Amino acid sequence: MHLRNFILFSNIDSFHFALGIVASEGSQSNADESLLPLVAKGDGQAMKRCINVYGPLVWSIVCRRINERNDAEETCQEIFTEVWQKAGTYNPEVARESTFIGMIARRRSIDWQRKQSRLPMLTDLESAPEASSAIPIAGTGLDRELLWKALEQLPEKTRELFSLHFVKGMTHEEIVKETGLALGTVKTRLRRGLIDARKLLKDFTQQKNPKL
Amino acid sequence: MSTAETYDRFEELDAGRALGDLSLEEVKEWKKLVKDQQSEKSSDFDWISVELEIENSETCPLPSSLVTRLKSTIPAFTKIEARDSSPTKIVSILPWLGWAAAACLLFFFNLPDVDTLVQAPELTAAQKLEELVRVAPETQRLAFSPASDTYEDISGEVIWNDDRQEGYMSLVNLPINDPTKNQYQLWIVDPERDELPVDGGVFDIPTGSETAVIPIRNTLQVSQPTVFVITLEQPGGVVKSKQEIVVALAKS
Repeated sequence: MHLRNFILFSNIDSFHFALGIVASEGSQSNADESLLPLVAKGDGQAMKRCINVYGPLVWSIVCRRINERNDAEETCQEIFTEVWQKAGTYNPEVARESTFIGMIARRRSIDWQRKQSRLPMLTDLESAPEASSAIPIAGTGLDRELLWKALEQLPEKTRELFSLHFVKGMTHEEIVKETGLALGTVKTRLRRGLIDARKLLKDFTQQKNPKL
Repeated sequence: MSTAETYDRFEELDAGRALGDLSLEEVKEWKKLVKDQQSEKSSDFDWISVELEIENSETCPLPSSLVTRLKSTIPAFTKIEARDSSPTKIVSILPWLGWAAAACLLFFFNLPDVDTLVQAPELTAAQKLEELVRVAPETQRLAFSPASDTYEDISGEVIWNDDRQEGYMSLVNLPINDPTKNQYQLWIVDPERDELPVDGGVFDIPTGSETAVIPIRNTLQVSQPTVFVITLEQPGGVVKSKQEIVVALAKS
């Protein structure tokens, strides 16, 4: 079974089951422990625990994009410095800690890739994860079940590109080599896919909560 | 372009921003649209992207040497002042799990022996500077000079290596700054690249530092830089400096 097929499954849990991958109680309970509010207060012990709990998540995101050991470690350090700096902006009503930290890790890693390509870094453009400038989807935020439902509605070609990009961590250029598609097509389909996913998600959210 | 078309274009660029695939021109266009149209910044694409990625990422244990290094820096973190949060939205996302294990394993297969990693000491910026000069004696060195009477006591030099894209500033008598009020920022002028200077990173001079060695953190690749400029900016630095307070310069 190829990894890229994951997104074609109607129920992600069934795919996990098929591969024998089941979320453990431990992993669930280790994540999202409300550490960031303590980190924001300057609690060094909480920061150490934050590194223990979320370090593996950060490292996995970093290693998908950065294959130079020193650069990966340097980026990891920058990520946790940013986590420390921005812990005060974290709001548990807005996102789980793993999402908040995952977003910082993803952005820093993407910026490392862009730096290698002599492209301007994007960190300065971005508002999130500071909650103050974030516009919630349909006024309520992101419902994961609805997101997967929305993704199922996307064209198969888009889902396959999503799989290559988000699951396998391929760059656009690597996807071009893998699929034979033109770079512009890959870029457009991925962007359009995100836009369509958001629109579908909003529609489903409003159907579920008509009062919003 | 109509309002709807403008919004569509912004949406497309914003999706590209979340994907990390904006070209140089598109970055400029995104900034212009945000400024001119007061387009609303949204994190939706970021949330969706992160959800997709972390849902399908198998976590990899941090190398023990890195854990040690990260934890050893915690005392330094305590100087950073945390900000308050302002709740605005609710997001429900499953904790991360998945299967990027292959990527992790491939990465680790290329690593040196774990014991070696654990014992490898982390070099200070000053040690890294010395090492750079030792292994790459052709490294460019330029002396800093004060930009105004206010900073007349400043001296030091910038050490920069094009091939390695690595450099350091050795600064003497740069006044201590309060990071909550302002921070120093380095700018690198690279005529080969652009008229606009490249951001060389934001830095602080902590208490008790007469001589400070600061690593250069260039956001873009530079080659044959001709001028290095230190300015004083707002906390966090700026994307484009107005050069209201120029502290020091080093010219080739």
